[in-house]
Amino acid sequence: MTTLAADQPATARVASSAPRAINVLRLHLTNKWTTLGTPLLILTFIFAVNYVIWLLIYTSTPEAARTAAGGNQYVEGTQYSGSTFYIFIYMLVIAIQVVLRTFPFALGFSITRRDFYLGTALLFGVLAAIYSVILTIMSYIEEATTGWGLGGHMFSTVWFGTGSLGQRLSSEFFAFLFFFFVGAAISTVYLRWRATGMIVLWGSIVLIGVAAAALITFANGWPAVGTWFLNAGVYGVVLWSLVITVISAFFGFRILRRATPVN
Amino acid sequence: MIEDGRPIFVQIAEQIENDIIDGSLPEEGQVPSTNEFAAFHRINPATAGRGVNVLVENGTLYKKRGIGMFVSPGARERLLAARRDMFEKQYLRPLIAEAAKLGITRDQIAKLLQKDEV
Amino acid sequence: MSVVEIANLTKRYGSVLAVNDVTLSLEQDIIHGLLGRNGAGKTTLMQLLTGQDFASSGSISVFGAPPVENARVLQNICFIKESQKYPEDFRAKHVFTNAPLFFENWDSAFAEQLVAEFRLPLNRRIKKLSRGQLSSLGVIVGLASRAPLTFFDEPYLGLDAVARQLFYDRLLEDFAEHPRTVILSTHLIDEVQNLLQHVIVIDEGRILVDSDAEELRGSATTVAGTARAVDAFTLGRTVLSRQGLGALAQATLSRLSDEDRAAAAAAGLDITPVSLQQLVVSLSETAQAASAHSGTSAQLGTSTTSTQREK
Repeated sequence: MTTLAADQPATARVASSAPRAINVLRLHLTNKWTTLGTPLLILTFIFAVNYVIWLLIYTSTPEAARTAAGGNQYVEGTQYSGSTFYIFIYMLVIAIQVVLRTFPFALGFSITRRDFYLGTALLFGVLAAIYSVILTIMSYIEEATTGWGLGGHMFSTVWFGTGSLGQRLSSEFFAFLFFFFVGAAISTVYLRWRATGMIVLWGSIVLIGVAAAALITFANGWPAVGTWFLNAGVYGVVLWSLVITVISAFFGFRILRRATPVN
Repeated sequence: MIEDGRPIFVQIAEQIENDIIDGSLPEEGQVPSTNEFAAFHRINPATAGRGVNVLVENGTLYKKRGIGMFVSPGARERLLAARRDMFEKQYLRPLIAEAAKLGITRDQIAKLLQKDEV
Repeated sequence: MSVVEIANLTKRYGSVLAVNDVTLSLEQDIIHGLLGRNGAGKTTLMQLLTGQDFASSGSISVFGAPPVENARVLQNICFIKESQKYPEDFRAKHVFTNAPLFFENWDSAFAEQLVAEFRLPLNRRIKKLSRGQLSSLGVIVGLASRAPLTFFDEPYLGLDAVARQLFYDRLLEDFAEHPRTVILSTHLIDEVQNLLQHVIVIDEGRILVDSDAEELRGSATTVAGTARAVDAFTLGRTVLSRQGLGALAQATLSRLSDEDRAAAAAAGLDITPVSLQQLVVSLSETAQAASAHSGTSAQLGTSTTSTQREK
């Protein structure tokens, strides 16, 4: 059929899925304020608040006590600061929102679910890289200035920002990926099964949690659990979180492949 | 204007015929393009094209390749002859039927026609 | 050449049959009207054709392949949905910065022209747009994307008469210059009927009409007069609908020949043509009456059921 042959170039142009996934990434980054601007602004604000607190502690400490130990000392207890934790939660929310709101829009722009998911995973990778680099750089500055000259901890805590450069970067990067893919997976459950999916998901999470706690209690296993966490260390726990990240990413993709836009 | 309930291409063909009969489209004159008809009447271009094609097929219009549509020589005379044939069926019959319904005799119709001829 | 081929397509939501055993093909470079009442299954059918939803059974082929998760097929499609969702933080302008990434025929100059003509505020958040502005946004994307297969699902909700006319004019102009397959879904039939080349009427998930628009335009006639004369004339003919008012009645019949018309005139009946909208209403009523009586939908030309309304 000659008409068919003539139509082939127009209708059968095969776009490889990589460029389309990159276009999805560009779609996600349309409004950089949401994914980069606002979180960094809030981080700056939290830093400012922390700084004021450190300053208050610093000035209220007698100078003799400060110099007795030979220079600036860290403010006790701030190594347990969870100030940067907010940014992980913020990224969890971003992941939920991006999948929930951009997915129906992407389908409207004739994007396949596969390309959407790949592009979204790329976004997660890019954001995780940017934020872990920022947090790592800040942790080194914090160390070099002995807590910004005031002995405060925010970016180098017992959770993150200690150890080698590779450990700092990778632990933060993996932690970000964890929150991104878990958030995305939650959204895919909603997109696929709506409210019923949410009830079943949270119901089973609570059930599994309670069952596990009960099991550990009956088996007198809490000390063993505690030892495991101590032995694994923060970095070990982060590495173990990769298992959940990978499972979330895999099932998120499988679930999204059969999801339909919210009407 | 396009009216409901009748195929649009028939109406387009009729309108072109009317324009030829009343002389606004002279013989050998160029007829607006299909897209111009479509835009003017706010109808689908393919439907307008179908109306024009009816007239090309019966020889009222002819195509000059790459230029457009033109009114065929002698088209007006042929259309007039065809319309005269239609006149009785289209106008006279319904008139007589309606008159009969109202009890108006043929003589009375004739008188009315003469009176109207002012 | 057909762009879309559907065979025995069914979509079931729980116990509801949104699309019920539909077999259909859509020809290339034609403006189709997908007509029907709200909830008739128009949007579901389009979601199935664009791979947004999954069929319960049956087959769909778009540009020769199933559309679901098929980038090669989908990149030729633009689906402007009435209920389209946008990312939370989007302003109208963001839609236009992204459109060229996904529609390869995107015409930025045309989009700019349309934005000015529809007076769309580009800097406003999409959440803050009025219903009409939201519709304008969709219409502009649908036109400027020039996708080989474009769906408009109730594209003009909230648009005023001027904007609607603007949409029809631009659609016709652009279609003439860049022919493509368009599916215009609507329940406002009167306004769009002259744009359509092909008409599909869907009711309760079933196809009632799948016909050339021009054939449909002359296909029904209403005869009116005394009930006795109407009944005598309609005896043995296909009646699409009948309404009575005391001793008077009117009936909508399928196509009448010239002899039929002469006979009706001779019987003292008034003959008026039926608009597409009236025809669709008559057919839907007939189908409803038929399914209420026997549980099956009526097909055009085979039903002799008549609906009666006494006032």
